[in-house]
Amino acid sequence: MKGCIFNIDAGYLEGLCRGFKCGILKQSDYLNLVQCETLEDLKLHLQGTDYGTFLANEPSPLSVSTIDDKLREKLVIEFQHLRNHSVEPMSTFLDFITYSYMIDNIILLITGTLHQRPISELIPKCHPLGSFEQMEAIHVAATPAELYNAVLVDTPLAPFFVDCISEQDLDEMNIEIIRNTLYKAYLEAFYEFCKLIGGTTADVMCEILAFEADRRAIIITINSFGTELSKDDRAKLYPRCGKLNPDGLAALARADDYEQVKAVAEYYAEYAALFEGAGNNVGDKTLEDKFFEHEVTLNVNAFLQQFHFGVFYSYLKLKEQECRNIVWISECVAQKHRAKIDNYIPIF
Amino acid sequence: MGSLFRSEEMTLCQLFLQSEAAYACVSELGELGLVQFRDLNPDVNAFQRKFVNEVRRCDEMERKLRYLEKEIRRDGIPMLEIPGEVPEAPQPREMIDLEATFEKLENELREVNQNAEALKRNYLELTELKHILRKTQVFFDEHEGGASTTESMTRALISDDPNKHMGQVQLGFRDKQESLEFLPCFVAGVILRERIPAFERMLWRACRGNVFLRQAEIDTPLEDPSSSDQVYKSVFIIFFQGDQLKTRVKKICEGFRATLYPCPEAPADRREMAMGVMTRIEDLNTVLGQTQDHRHRVLVAAAKNIKNWFVKVRKIKAIYHTLNLFNLDVTQKCLIAECWVPALDLETIQLALRRGTERSGSSVPPILNRMETLEDPPTYNRTNKFTSAFQNLIYAYGVATYREVNPAPYTIITFPFLFAVMFGDLGHGAIMAVFGFWMCYKEKPLQAKKIDSEIWNIFFGGRYIVLLMGLFSMYTGLIYNDIFSKSLNIFGSSWRQNYNESTLTTAKSLQLNPDSMDYLQHPYPFGIDPVWQLAEANKIIFMNAYKMKISIIIGVFHMLFGVCLSLWNHLYFKRRISVYVEFIPQILFLLLLFFYMVLLMFIKWTSYGPSPPNFDDVRTSGYCAPSILITFINMMLFKTDPNMRTDCDDTMFAGQMGLQKFFVIAALMCVPVMLFGKPYFIMKEQKARASQGHQSIEASAENGTAGGAPVPASAHHDEDITEVFIHQAIHTIEYVLGSVSHTASYLRLWALSLAHAQLAEVAWNMLLRKGISTLIIIHTLSTCRAACRTRRRTCACGRCRWRTRSSPRSRGTCCSGKACSPRATRAASTCTWCSRAGPPSPSPSWC
Repeated sequence: MKGCIFNIDAGYLEGLCRGFKCGILKQSDYLNLVQCETLEDLKLHLQGTDYGTFLANEPSPLSVSTIDDKLREKLVIEFQHLRNHSVEPMSTFLDFITYSYMIDNIILLITGTLHQRPISELIPKCHPLGSFEQMEAIHVAATPAELYNAVLVDTPLAPFFVDCISEQDLDEMNIEIIRNTLYKAYLEAFYEFCKLIGGTTADVMCEILAFEADRRAIIITINSFGTELSKDDRAKLYPRCGKLNPDGLAALARADDYEQVKAVAEYYAEYAALFEGAGNNVGDKTLEDKFFEHEVTLNVNAFLQQFHFGVFYSYLKLKEQECRNIVWISECVAQKHRAKIDNYIPIF
Repeated sequence: MGSLFRSEEMTLCQLFLQSEAAYACVSELGELGLVQFRDLNPDVNAFQRKFVNEVRRCDEMERKLRYLEKEIRRDGIPMLEIPGEVPEAPQPREMIDLEATFEKLENELREVNQNAEALKRNYLELTELKHILRKTQVFFDEHEGGASTTESMTRALISDDPNKHMGQVQLGFRDKQESLEFLPCFVAGVILRERIPAFERMLWRACRGNVFLRQAEIDTPLEDPSSSDQVYKSVFIIFFQGDQLKTRVKKICEGFRATLYPCPEAPADRREMAMGVMTRIEDLNTVLGQTQDHRHRVLVAAAKNIKNWFVKVRKIKAIYHTLNLFNLDVTQKCLIAECWVPALDLETIQLALRRGTERSGSSVPPILNRMETLEDPPTYNRTNKFTSAFQNLIYAYGVATYREVNPAPYTIITFPFLFAVMFGDLGHGAIMAVFGFWMCYKEKPLQAKKIDSEIWNIFFGGRYIVLLMGLFSMYTGLIYNDIFSKSLNIFGSSWRQNYNESTLTTAKSLQLNPDSMDYLQHPYPFGIDPVWQLAEANKIIFMNAYKMKISIIIGVFHMLFGVCLSLWNHLYFKRRISVYVEFIPQILFLLLLFFYMVLLMFIKWTSYGPSPPNFDDVRTSGYCAPSILITFINMMLFKTDPNMRTDCDDTMFAGQMGLQKFFVIAALMCVPVMLFGKPYFIMKEQKARASQGHQSIEASAENGTAGGAPVPASAHHDEDITEVFIHQAIHTIEYVLGSVSHTASYLRLWALSLAHAQLAEVAWNMLLRKGISTLIIIHTLSTCRAACRTRRRTCACGRCRWRTRSSPRSRGTCCSGKACSPRATRAASTCTWCSRAGPPSPSPSWC
């Protein structure tokens, strides 16, 4: 039933999004890109794709950061266009997507100020999708409580922050904990929201978000080995909307080394496969890449169904992966370091 | 046959160009526009080709030009169109000059812009400071009034001796040591207006309500120096206490990108500072003006040439793109190109190549070799400015295969004519023709104007079509006897009415009988009799019958003509089988069914009509005339009309039923021939060849090329026989269904003609007549009023004079008791009116 009336509000935007999706680079494009000798070659080739003249007004010599900026700018423009034309409940859905960028931006700014960097230097590094009005004044705060009371209380992130209010000073550890707590709250809220929308959106998005949650849980566990993070604290950071919840998370909370994490993952077919292929040897793909690959598959699968909001999320994520790929290739080209140039993650 | 009839003959040529001469030669060929190059390295990536660096340099130059263009547009300087000729592609060595010029211009402009931006920023700061001083003055004044809510603060601020703190506050922060204990500090600054609410809330939260903010809007928009947008800003002033708050407030201000300015506390200082700021603003204004002047001069100089430069750079880029298609030979000394050229233009191309070689100063002449090929050459139709529009019409439907008959020349007549059938109106056609003629007559000046409007370009591109359509419409308008939905009675109608006057005045509608004296028994010499314009009741019925038939007749002839053109193709490509199993059944199908229907129309027109006055034969009268449509449907269904009137014949001529049955059966027999004939022959041929071996293929291929006819004739030998079947089935179905549906579609000629006539009538009645009549009324009214006014004056005097002269007599007549003649009374009445206007005189007593 939902499908019948979906097009009234979101049909145009879905069509637009699917059109954008067709512009995502194909395997053949990547094969051409890795052959490039210089960044100018890269530019010339990208001119033949959907990117068109996005670099035409940049004076040579090109730098990787310019390419990165321009790629991101194009993506942001597309996303903002979708956001500006959307109505409820899609606009909230799209806003939810931007919250993760806000979290990243906040953490970036706090870490930056902690290291005595001037705020004007940090602002350009923030992701434009996650910028908000009070963002630049974030360095007023010295403690999480202040951060909440002065800055975040007006932003949509306020409900996620409730768990991290404390009077401790902000330090590296604290910031990491804040980031992960925020992310946990955000993921769980997003998951609930998608459930609320229901229908195909829930089917598609819950799958993707559950994976995202599990990935975070696993990565947090792996990264916490050898740090002063206690197991109890660690358990508090796990997002509880994934497939690992609750047994897997409980097992993860007890894990002491990589092998134990792997043993936990053995119980879950899809994650077991990811751990299977991953390794740190030369030629092996890292676990992180494996996760990225799985994410890409999930996002590509989102396009197999119609009349749901998942395509917008998936498009953004796929496009981000593509930006990462292009930047990776351009870095390799710029540094003449071609050995690892094939380590990009193809999308189609 | 001339080139108008078929597309040009093309040959594949191999071109050997010396490396040095290649550029000049390609440039010459580019100006000629007669050569189509083939990509000889399709497997090579775009960035691995030979001249990719030059292409890239051109890209860079284009970028610089775009930057210049943007700046020129921003200043609103008009860019001059290229006067006269489009510049030729410059020599490769000129490219360096161009690059240098652009580089210099760009750098100069960037520098000027940078300076201007710095100056503007300075200017902005000063203006903001000016506003701050002005607005804060208001704040301070209010505080001095003492009526504000923050009385304690106010009192502290205007402490008994404000002069005491003079000069110590430089950045707007009061020096603590000397201040009183609770004396607040303050900062003043400027912030974007839309950020104010968030800013205020943040201040309140971060400082726990311990600050006091006042703000005022700056009314005039300020220019943002980096983007040169107009932005609205507000002045604010924040009061607070203590150092901790100070850092915090400053941080927040920084976070919200507010600019802070020093604001002295003492009124005298502020005034002094304001004076200083004003003088500096004035100084800056002059400097800014000079910078702008300089920038303007640079841009004006660039604007003169920019279009020219664009053309040059694009030409260079195109040349290098073309050169990228070429192959390099082993010795690297020369480039090898393959291209399609029209066989007739080989001479011109040779000449152009020679020119190119001379220009480049190379000694080795380029070599142009004809190549033998089995490939399908591209279709090239040579056009001129008259035929190109028609050729484009044809291209909109599809491009003919190489050397097929080109339908464009026939379209020159059929297209405007079919249009005119629908648009038949002498008046409208004349307007259109005048418009078309004007465009053709003013062709060159209009072309030179380079109007960008898309709609205009559609009309201008088709100016000859418009002209012809207008002329043809005038012709059909004459035939329909239609001019702005009215008729012309040039030769005198052949109809008379013989009713007496009383019938004419009383009867609502009258009939004219063609069998009586009403009709003069000879038709109107040209077109429709104008009397039909008066026939309200059956004009549309009459016109419909006429136009429907005409449409079908035109349509059937049009289709027959098209099928006949295919005969020329079959003959030319020596496809004899196609003539027998495609063309002949096709034309038979059309002739036996639809052309027969057309014949029936003519038979109906000639053999039925008004009978002579004595009504001797009812069977040839209009009463018995059969409906062509019903007859045709019955013919297809093999039955007779059940509603035939009793006195009439069943058929239009003897033996009609038998003939019709034969026609239908014969036409239907054509369908299987079309369907299976060609595949059958191909199959037979293949079998024969299979037994003979493969030699014949080569033989036929050689024959094909040697005879001038290209390969397609023998190309389908290798095709799968099922494909041939499918193709033929589609073709047949398309043809059979097509001829039915096209015949029906030609009725659209009638439908649109009817629509046009009706709309023209509505337009005449509702727009033109009303408009003109109101115009006339207004005009007559106004002229009348003016005339009346003048006449009244003159007549009054005239009559009065006359009265004075004749009054004794008229009075005498009246008074004598005799009847007044009308003239006399009129004179008298005028006179009475005059008497009021003129000097008082004794009025006549007789009325």
